[in-house]
Amino acid sequence: MEQILQHLINGLVLGGTYALLGIGLTLIFGLMNVVNFAHGEFYTLGAYTAFAALALAGAGFFVAIAGAIVVGAVLGALCERLLLRPLRGESIDTTMLVMIGVWIAMQNAELLGWGGVAKTIPHPFPTAPFTVGPLSVAPLRVFVFVSALALIAAAHLLIQRTRLGCAMRATFQDRDTAALMGVRIDRIHTATFAFGSALAAAAGALLGPVFLVYPSMGDLASLKAFSVVILGGLGNLAGATLGGLVLGVAEELGAGYVSSGYRDAVGFVIIILVLLFRPSGLFARAERIG
Amino acid sequence: MSTRWLSTLLLIVGAGFMLVAPGSAQSPGTLKIGVIEPLSGPVAASGNYVRMGAEIARDWINARGGVEGRKIDLLIEDNKSDPKEAASAAEKLIVRDKVPAIMGAWGSSMTLAAMPKLEEYGVPMVVETSSAASITKRGNPWIFRISPPSEMEALGLEQYVDKLGVKKADFLAVNTDWGRGSIQAFGDMLKKKGVQVGAAEFMEQAATDMNAQLTKIKQTGGDTLFLTTAVEQITLVLKQGQEQRLQRKVVTTGGSSSPTQLIKQAGPAAEGSYHIVFFMPWFPEAMPDAKLAKAFVDEWAKRGHPFEGLTEGFRGHDGIATIAEAVKLAGKDDPKAIRDALWRVNFTGVNGPVKFEKDGPAGKESGQSKPSIFIVQIRDAKVVLPEFMAKR
Amino acid sequence: MIVLARAALAVALVTVPLWLPSSYHLHVLIMAGIFVILASSLNLLLGYTGLLSLGHAAFFGIGAYTSALLALKLDWSFWLALPAAAILAGLAGWAIGRLALKLRGAYFVLVTISFAGVISLISTNWMDLTNGPLGLPGVPAPELGPWSLRTKTAYYYLVLAAAAVAYLVCARLVRSRIGRAFLALRENEPLAESVGVDSTHYLVLATVVSAAMAGVAGSLYAHYTRFISPEVFLFSYTVTMVIMVVAGGKGTLAGPVVGAVLFTILPEALREATSWQWQMLAYGVLLVLLVFFLPRGIVPGLQRLRARRAP
Repeated sequence: MEQILQHLINGLVLGGTYALLGIGLTLIFGLMNVVNFAHGEFYTLGAYTAFAALALAGAGFFVAIAGAIVVGAVLGALCERLLLRPLRGESIDTTMLVMIGVWIAMQNAELLGWGGVAKTIPHPFPTAPFTVGPLSVAPLRVFVFVSALALIAAAHLLIQRTRLGCAMRATFQDRDTAALMGVRIDRIHTATFAFGSALAAAAGALLGPVFLVYPSMGDLASLKAFSVVILGGLGNLAGATLGGLVLGVAEELGAGYVSSGYRDAVGFVIIILVLLFRPSGLFARAERIG
Repeated sequence: MSTRWLSTLLLIVGAGFMLVAPGSAQSPGTLKIGVIEPLSGPVAASGNYVRMGAEIARDWINARGGVEGRKIDLLIEDNKSDPKEAASAAEKLIVRDKVPAIMGAWGSSMTLAAMPKLEEYGVPMVVETSSAASITKRGNPWIFRISPPSEMEALGLEQYVDKLGVKKADFLAVNTDWGRGSIQAFGDMLKKKGVQVGAAEFMEQAATDMNAQLTKIKQTGGDTLFLTTAVEQITLVLKQGQEQRLQRKVVTTGGSSSPTQLIKQAGPAAEGSYHIVFFMPWFPEAMPDAKLAKAFVDEWAKRGHPFEGLTEGFRGHDGIATIAEAVKLAGKDDPKAIRDALWRVNFTGVNGPVKFEKDGPAGKESGQSKPSIFIVQIRDAKVVLPEFMAKR
Repeated sequence: MIVLARAALAVALVTVPLWLPSSYHLHVLIMAGIFVILASSLNLLLGYTGLLSLGHAAFFGIGAYTSALLALKLDWSFWLALPAAAILAGLAGWAIGRLALKLRGAYFVLVTISFAGVISLISTNWMDLTNGPLGLPGVPAPELGPWSLRTKTAYYYLVLAAAAVAYLVCARLVRSRIGRAFLALRENEPLAESVGVDSTHYLVLATVVSAAMAGVAGSLYAHYTRFISPEVFLFSYTVTMVIMVVAGGKGTLAGPVVGAVLFTILPEALREATSWQWQMLAYGVLLVLLVFFLPRGIVPGLQRLRARRAP
């Protein structure tokens, strides 16, 4: 019994991290229709920025995370402005291909700059786990989980309650009308991509201390992010959150009770089954945004 | 319609010109040695450490006048952790650059993919890291391995099993040929010694969360966990094991554990763990050729390379040194002569003595050396020899 | 003019072993040929029916493993193993086609990725069948009567023939009624259905043919490199195929051919041109630049150039 509970806890915490990866991508993929293969690279960028701030510049932990968010936003904005805006009329495959190029370039630039050796990010939390009977969970992970939820809530608020969010929703629902109403389409696109990338960078900064930082850390993150986004319904923030948690728990239970070698297969099989029975994702609703 | 054909023709011809340019200049004064390592991708760190070690060997040999007066020129290729690239790299090195010998290719699948090329063109390769048994058992007479296959490693640990007090062991390994081979070899060895084997769990190479596997292992009631993977995953397993309050002895195998890096990154979670390594840079005086080991450690530090890399970098040095030694014995850089000379090689590298014995089917044997195997422990955030090894 | 160009190309291709400077170049061309088949197969889905399949490496790998296992364990001749590989890969394609019937766009993509992921994990974990990560070394080279097709020259002709057949199959398919149905489905599925195009039937057909072709490429690959391991299922293979198709020009017949040749030669040329530190970075940057200047792909881009020149 306790084993199941421990697996559940592991799964929820893991799922929280998947959710964090998903919410940024659901905006970019779900709203802007860009197959952003470089999403994982912004995750990696966030982690390296946090590392640089903490280990090299000696900044505080929370400053480092904030710094990562800023860097992610700025680079995301640059990326959109320089590469995606000129290609906006092109097909989805073209933008996908350009992001593949960015993915390869960014990862190898990081390899060149930081070297392949993994780095650790120091953090201020105690290493001794919280324990409740036979169950344990590390304080750092609790922090990450809580932060992830906070960021998701903040993102939700931004989309639903601010003018910027309103403009975003309008742009992606009906671009021409929004333009006629005075929404600066170009700026909204840049802002959305920047926002999604900033969220990815935040995920990287938060997860960097939990795991390790190395150039190829974004590859798996990208894959999980796409799964979460599609499971939850494109453009659906709440869906991505729930989808992430579901995926995390499913993988954990699968690894625990089926076989650790086939652990990822459990996730894949679940995705296939879900999509067979609910082709628009687990939580898709009539309207796509928010 | 015609545009497409024209453009096809143009493009193929154009791109082809890029390749038709002649290969590396043939300077008669240099000895070219090919090196194939994973320099990008997930194991880039290890591949680069081996490269750094190789470069030290090259510079040392060249400083002493080279091999028979000829300077070594290392032609370094990236196999991108992809067997297809390893094969292409081998093809290019052999055909374009005409190297008479190669060192590579780190991962067992990469090495296995390059092996048919060696036979096709008749060029020997010194295998410096790969651990799969099949490499030397396939009947490829152009393969000479200086790293230990998992079976040899397990044998090296056999004498310490009782001293470690292992009664029931669990395994957690990376899901590659290396991890699986390790579980097989160590499992067999332990069973022969009467040790019970509990769980055998796997983790994908890129996996970062091993909590599920650790939860399962916690249930078995074992006293020792044998861990086979690279240092990054070891760090994560140790940390997550600590979070789950997994209390048991940890023994890492495979030699890629880089204990110094573990201390830095896993901190107290690494306390008490044992590690099988093939080079002990913390006490070079305990190595078979103490002077050489110390010199290597010093040169590595002088070049500003991270200390953690020494436990893998020495492989690059020994691989190049082996090839250089063979060329010296052969007297010329003809691949077949070098191959024959490799059988006569008998010297001491950083790891220890290098001398090849026959391995594999009769008539087509590969060469396998018997490298030295060591075990160290992390105590008080330092790397030390385990107590039971204190008096030797 | 057209005839001359085509004839020149044909002559050049057939006489390649005579004028190519070394067997290394031949090696590169053989790999290019295999990828031509792969890219063309992906183009059928991506370019003509508009279905983005990011799991295509799965069909490649299934073909490779099927062919290798049949040859190694059951001593089948290559000439039987190859069609078997095509059939099995085609079956897998059929499964995907039927599974993903209701799904389009991103959802289809995810199912294909998941499917490839499952197959990849099976190949790594089902030790008894596939030998897992240890791989299958010693896959035999094909034999034609008394001759072994082990030499590069012989293998080159084999691959050239296969690539030519693949191209012809695609060409016939695309220009037939089936091809027009594909295009109709790509452009506007509901409209196509309303005029009686059975989307299920045609999409499944597309995935089956596409998968079978990828399986053939897999078999050719296995018997050339004579060693396969689960790395054939690496996502990077799928990414490479996608690059070849889209950068070459999806939805055209020559696009994947140009893309495959270019992107097989490019990494090797980069080996020559730069040292290992810069190779992949240069590759990424070149890709971005290429997409930037030729967003529809090389072949359509050149077509537009020609159209603008000719009045």
